[in-house]
Amino acid sequence: MKKSNWFIILFFMTLALIVATVFAVSIGAVKLPLFNMTTVEKNIFFNVRLPRVLLAGLVGAALVMSGALFQYVMKNPLADSFTTGTSASSAMGAVIAIMLGLEKLIPLFALAGGLTGLTAVYKISSVRNRIQPVTMLLAGIVISTFASATISFMKYLSDDAVSSIIFWLMGGFSSASISKVIILAIAIIGSYLSIRSDFLSLDIICFDDMTAEASGVNVARLRRKIFFIASLLTAFSVGYAGIIGFAGLVIPHIIRLLRMVKAAELLPMSLIGGGLFMITNDLIARTILSEGQELPVGILTSFIGGIFFLTLLIKRKKELFYFD
Amino acid sequence: MIRLDEIVATQGDFSLSVKSLSIKESGLVAVLGNNGSGKTTFLSLLSGLKSYEGSYELSGKDFGSYSAKSAGEILSLLPQSGALNMPFDVFYVVLTGRFIHTDGRSYSKEDFDETERVMIETDIMHLKERPFNELSGGEKQRVLLARTINKDTKVLLLDEPFSDTDILHQHKLIGLLKELAKKKLIIVVIHDLSLAIREFERFLFFESGTLSYDVTPEEIDEERLSSIFGVRVKFIKEASKLFIYTEEV
Repeated sequence: MKKSNWFIILFFMTLALIVATVFAVSIGAVKLPLFNMTTVEKNIFFNVRLPRVLLAGLVGAALVMSGALFQYVMKNPLADSFTTGTSASSAMGAVIAIMLGLEKLIPLFALAGGLTGLTAVYKISSVRNRIQPVTMLLAGIVISTFASATISFMKYLSDDAVSSIIFWLMGGFSSASISKVIILAIAIIGSYLSIRSDFLSLDIICFDDMTAEASGVNVARLRRKIFFIASLLTAFSVGYAGIIGFAGLVIPHIIRLLRMVKAAELLPMSLIGGGLFMITNDLIARTILSEGQELPVGILTSFIGGIFFLTLLIKRKKELFYFD
Repeated sequence: MIRLDEIVATQGDFSLSVKSLSIKESGLVAVLGNNGSGKTTFLSLLSGLKSYEGSYELSGKDFGSYSAKSAGEILSLLPQSGALNMPFDVFYVVLTGRFIHTDGRSYSKEDFDETERVMIETDIMHLKERPFNELSGGEKQRVLLARTINKDTKVLLLDEPFSDTDILHQHKLIGLLKELAKKKLIIVVIHDLSLAIREFERFLFFESGTLSYDVTPEEIDEERLSSIFGVRVKFIKEASKLFIYTEEV
């Protein structure tokens, strides 16, 4: 894609993101005017609405960026935090932290869980240094199932925390706070800055490992780095907003269909696209039901993602096998 | 340029051994032998992707003293089954061959110019904007060969670069490689015996993991080839052209 075209798309996406954010902060259970707010309204705006919308946007950005990164290292368009089992194993780590009463350490436990699950999936699905897409999906399912079983077992062991865990696992942003927003923003900016210097190498690891290595890229080192960053982004998303499936699968795919394939085009666009996608989904999730009830946003993204995944499997088999 | 002494490289049950081999700075060298005779392992060894025992000197220095990057500035490898998992356009695929010459962050004007030149030389400029994954097998192979040439190193190691390429482009590309081989050392794994004998300057034959026959076109012997390949090989000379006939023993 031409640089100028890419900037135009980036500009319009950013504009759309701003518009969505403005809509999202003003619409909700209580409709807020953007100007001349009363004290109560200001209170709702700054303590509830704004953190929630920002957290939704940041979680979306983190999930989509981690999805795009997983697709690079797994050499598979179906890889994201959900299908690689990383979300579920992060959730397992987070639940262990909750059980141990270490709520402050949730992201750390989630990261440890996520990295463990991801490493297992990678080891299982790599045969002679090549990742088999189908084996990766199967291994992801196995790890997810195992992690979910562990979570269920822990829920069974302690009744009191059950309802909060169930609600959190379904995915949502109702527990948003400014401190979470700040920490996640730092994690995303840090991750982005640390891989910005690897954009050219990321494109080259899309070749087979031998070609990539012969081109002058240290494949093993880059892969470890990307694994860590992608797991970190997943861990924070899961820790703060539960399991939200498929965003990291759908958005990078759409961006690539628009012919933005290079890492330098795909990753910045993933951040904006992820934010836009999640803010919009959250807005729908909390306004679609009457009388201020809200739908966990994970249900909505899984609906959309599930349909998308299915269309991909039925209609676009060829694209799934770029990776062969 | 390359000097090997008492080299042994093992991979599972398979082991490759080269007693002694010295190859000069430039020229077109063919690597031949039946399947599983060690040709690919030989190229992996030369490119540093395979560990070995013995002595390997590159440009007069022990290969072990090179970093991956400094060896990569001298050697290019085109693996046999190159694959790409993203629908990059062909120009970008060829451009990524220049990665070793960059600071790791962006390609320079020179990289773009060189890429364009190599694409014209290899006759793939018309594919420039096509997504790589939509090309035919032979086109992909030509693009990946162009990408390897674009790395612009002193030594090129090519593993079966023409196996899917049509005859027209085989001739064009061989012509280009011969031109490049005036200044570079190009080592090519090839199965087409008559093409090799017609166009190459030196032949390295491998038999069950051993470099067994190292000759120039003048010295080459029918009997010896027959025993290496396990088929009857006959040379037919007509109007100063050499034809090669093979049949089952």
